[in-house]
Amino acid sequence: MIQLPFTLAEPDGFSLWERFTFAALTLTSAALFWRRFGPILQRILHSRKDADFRLAPVGRRVWEFVWEVLCQSKVIRQRPLPGLAHALVFWGFCAFAVVTLNHFAYGLGLGFLSPDGWVGRCYFYLAAVFATACAGGILGLFVRRFAVRPRWLGAKLSYESGFIALLIFALMATYLAAFFVADGSPAARALWWAHTLTLLVFLPIIPHTKHLHLVLSPATVFLSRGGFSRIPALAGDEDFGLVAGTDLTRLVSLQAYSCVECGRCMEHCPAANTGKVLNPKEIVLGLRGYLNEYGPASAEPLLGKYNRQEAVFQCTTCGACEFQCPVGIEHLPIMVGLRRGAVNTGTWEDEHGAKLFLALERGSNALGMSATERDKFIQKQELPIFDGTQEYCLWLGCMGGYDPKGREIVADFARVMRYLGTSFGVLRKEKCTGDPVRRLGNDLLFEQLAQANLEALAQNKVKKIVSICPHCVRTIAEDWKQYGTPPEIEHHSEFLARHLSRLPRAAEKETVVYHDPCYLGRYRDVFEEPRKVVAQAGELVEAPRSHERSFCCGAGGGLAFLGEEQGERVSQVRAAELAATGAKTVGTACPFCNSMFRDALAAGGEGAPQLLDIAQLTARNLPAGGAG
Amino acid sequence: MSGVWVVVEERDGRMGRISWEAVATGQELGAQLGVPVCAALPGAQTEALAAELAAKALNRVVRVEHALLGAYTADGFTLALEQLLRAEQPEFVVFPHTYQVRDYAPALAARFGQVLIGDVTQVGTGPVFTRQLMQGRLSGTYCPTGSGPCFVSVQSGAFRADAVKAGTAEVTVFSPVLEAGQLRTRPSEPFRGSAQTVDLGSAQMIVSVGRGIKEAENLPLVQELATALGAELAASRPICDNGWLPMERQVGSSGQTVAPKLYVAVGISGAIQHLVGMKGSQCVVAINKDADAPIFEVADYGIVGDLFEVVPALTEAVKNARQ
Amino acid sequence: MKIVVAIKQVPERDAPLRIDAAGKWIEEADLQWAMNESDAYALEEALQLKEKHGGEVVVLSAGPERVGSTIREALAKGADRGIHVDCDNPAQWDALGMARLLAEAIRGESPDLVLTGLQSDDLGLGQTGVIVAELLGLPHASLILHVEKTDAGLKVKRELEEGWFQEIELPVPAVLTIQSGGNKLRYATLMGIKRAKTKEVRRVTAAELGVASNAVVALERIAVPQKQKSTQMLTGSPKDVAATLVEKLKFEVRVL
Repeated sequence: MIQLPFTLAEPDGFSLWERFTFAALTLTSAALFWRRFGPILQRILHSRKDADFRLAPVGRRVWEFVWEVLCQSKVIRQRPLPGLAHALVFWGFCAFAVVTLNHFAYGLGLGFLSPDGWVGRCYFYLAAVFATACAGGILGLFVRRFAVRPRWLGAKLSYESGFIALLIFALMATYLAAFFVADGSPAARALWWAHTLTLLVFLPIIPHTKHLHLVLSPATVFLSRGGFSRIPALAGDEDFGLVAGTDLTRLVSLQAYSCVECGRCMEHCPAANTGKVLNPKEIVLGLRGYLNEYGPASAEPLLGKYNRQEAVFQCTTCGACEFQCPVGIEHLPIMVGLRRGAVNTGTWEDEHGAKLFLALERGSNALGMSATERDKFIQKQELPIFDGTQEYCLWLGCMGGYDPKGREIVADFARVMRYLGTSFGVLRKEKCTGDPVRRLGNDLLFEQLAQANLEALAQNKVKKIVSICPHCVRTIAEDWKQYGTPPEIEHHSEFLARHLSRLPRAAEKETVVYHDPCYLGRYRDVFEEPRKVVAQAGELVEAPRSHERSFCCGAGGGLAFLGEEQGERVSQVRAAELAATGAKTVGTACPFCNSMFRDALAAGGEGAPQLLDIAQLTARNLPAGGAG
Repeated sequence: MSGVWVVVEERDGRMGRISWEAVATGQELGAQLGVPVCAALPGAQTEALAAELAAKALNRVVRVEHALLGAYTADGFTLALEQLLRAEQPEFVVFPHTYQVRDYAPALAARFGQVLIGDVTQVGTGPVFTRQLMQGRLSGTYCPTGSGPCFVSVQSGAFRADAVKAGTAEVTVFSPVLEAGQLRTRPSEPFRGSAQTVDLGSAQMIVSVGRGIKEAENLPLVQELATALGAELAASRPICDNGWLPMERQVGSSGQTVAPKLYVAVGISGAIQHLVGMKGSQCVVAINKDADAPIFEVADYGIVGDLFEVVPALTEAVKNARQ
Repeated sequence: MKIVVAIKQVPERDAPLRIDAAGKWIEEADLQWAMNESDAYALEEALQLKEKHGGEVVVLSAGPERVGSTIREALAKGADRGIHVDCDNPAQWDALGMARLLAEAIRGESPDLVLTGLQSDDLGLGQTGVIVAELLGLPHASLILHVEKTDAGLKVKRELEEGWFQEIELPVPAVLTIQSGGNKLRYATLMGIKRAKTKEVRRVTAAELGVASNAVVALERIAVPQKQKSTQMLTGSPKDVAATLVEKLKFEVRVL
């Protein structure tokens, strides 16, 4: 029988021994798959239940699944070219799923799609388009991995990835080739068998390699906690964070096995890029190694053979890892969880860390200064005390209340508020919001600080807060929720952006390079407001790494309070990058970033750009005399 | 029961300024109450010092002398002075508030059913005694209500040593009954804190240098001031970053936390990272050319000027004062 | 080694101080309280001795209900049990009365070692430990930075003035008052707090101990000192400012 050209060729029936061989090979392949995948699933399912896990709202989950998994949005957005190549492979696989099912069914004589019917023919043509794209995509990825070799894929060539790429290519090639041979011909039979064998080899390889993400990551994305850096509440009296295997929750274990080792998490990691021990990818793979060796019922400490305490405490919690991860791994709850385990049980011994904790056990602020210093500043600037009649409570924070530079920012922001005629007051007493201890994993202190502050705010009948510190804003708005209902809070960039039309523009515009603070950008999704404020006061220049891909200043995660860094200083790397834009001014929106860049920029010597907060940029255009 | 007794302290064959301040306080108290003032000098060889005291306006100088009082022990001093005070029955006993007095005077007072009013900064009519509370944030006025002798120790520098009135006093010897077996503690020779390693944490005086120094070659200028003062040399982070001084001399959040009596900040603007490391200093002197530098906010004394002029002048003035 | 650590609860370092109507003490109503700093070092020394040589650490504190939280904090840091001596107005007791109260509470425990901080951050008397030793008839040493257990008893490092130190040997039982800064303090942990819940705190009253407050010294009134810290800017030629500064260092700061 002669077929029209370009129709999918199929063998015309199978002999008994062919059928037998096919069944035996399929069973073997499936068994090999399960022998590896079964125990992994067991380890995930035998992990502790996530006490705070709620499936609702399902809408969000479905949306994220569609957007991130089906549309491959994260994969493409963060690395457009390889992302697209990956998406082509992924979509190819999706389209191919029906073809593969039919392929196996056909082997058993149960084929449901036939090139003879128009449905089958159309689908096969469609699949052929996807298969071509998929083959092209995998070829591109192969070239990238073995010829371009970006550094985040690691120095070591992964031959396993190469082999997989070949298999995928072979799958597509054997499918597409069948369009060029005659139906029922020996060539069609050979291609059918080649396709089958490729599939049967591919299946057991999946759970043995990082291609496990093919199976797990859709579930990981769907089941993720959501939000950003969402740190779960401790469950009960015996939960101290991630101490041992018994503390690993299902979500953590699922995420550990989902890692595809793409290295996006380390691409913008301030630690991994400045010679620290920490590499977020290794942390996740470390947990996987732990689970493989000890399992989720083990009392063996998590910080030991597979992960080092030193590494965990080098994290600035900037979130560049979590933000980038395409398979739904939530690094920050893991990192903070491991820190909680070490700090809540007292196994973390660090001179500077202990000093910070003791300062907050005994006093009100992370800097260990006397509260009277804050009072003096309030008196000197004649800041009104909040009495319930004002619209805003201006939250100073430790940096705003005690750091000379932070005070300048507060003073300028207060000038702007006065100019706008917005009523505000500061609390007579304020305690640290608990941001550094929250990120360092000290739950005892965090609870004490959050509760004391919530009580004080309620007593003062505060309805709205504005703060110059993204760390305070994030901690109050999100982390305090564990202990009560915090008042509405916004960052001063949001406040300023809203009132821009009533604020004077700069007469002469100098170039200003804006640095996105992690806790404002990635944590709060505020990117455009500060840019608008900058653009009103100067000519906005973008840094090479900006918006959600911004590079940390090095201060977050409590690291501003821990001693000297190992390797290169994060602040200097970022400051040099900002200075290299040639902008006259570095614009910041966080007093911690500001304090980190102060020294780092000055190290650049004469001609270094000046450093100003967006409040200062705005205030310098106000008419002298102030009040409007 | 009458009179004021001053218990003075011998150290290395000398009497420290604070003991003279105690004598002055005793004389003032004696004048207020119109009672005689005597001095007690415990030790093993006190003849020379007693002669010095004999030239002051005191009723009597008593050498409380015993071989076992040569090296200080709380047991020895408590026993010896208890015997003297039981014999003399004074109304007031005045001590210099030294580490030694803090070690035995409370126990001595307790033997008389009394409480030492320690670290007194002022003596008012009555008499009443003023001392600091809440780490200097408040002051409290105390008056004795008991019937026994009243024990008081005076804070270093609170009274004027040069106010001691001259005169002549009779010197006598009191020999307490002491046995070696009564001394339960065995003190060793005092030693200096390890001189080799830099220990900024326990330094009494620190001269700290910052970016204002400009070049490593200029550091000797500041080192000279430190040497003249007898202070440790320290630095802010940029100086140590540049390798101009070793990291262990860095004061600040990533370096050492210090709390000296005197902290001289030379060419340091006062970033928060630096301030948190030196905020516990009792007295801060800041020298900086920028009048708006935040370091002046925490300084007790500020000098706006060129450090290359001010520091050599200061070194010179300190040297002259030390001579 | 059985160690009793006497600790005091004092107003938090930053606490705003208001003088009460009678002018004799501060308003305690809104105050926040913390463990006295040198007592925290005494506790740390005790915990380290226990970790090295085994034994038991008992914390002892006198004061009203609020003192319970400081005892709990000590238990959370690793002390084994607590004794709370009920007394409503600890500020009204003079050093001798307070020492009697503590000494009587310690007597029943017959410990090998009694540790306490050098002085309190509120009253700053710096006498309680020394008087407790006197009342118990035990040898003592004060201003101790380091404690070492020896065959004969203890070898301790005592701070002297102006950067000098001295070693002292003494037999046990003994009383030591601990200077701040000799050790690194440990921070309180969640696990410690949870574990402390089940530890025993025995409460005892002054009457049960047979001690009455017969003060021999009275705090007549308290006041805010006139002088507030403010920056004095020195101006003039370099020579002039140097001379002025040296004068100040000599007579006001008294370091020259």
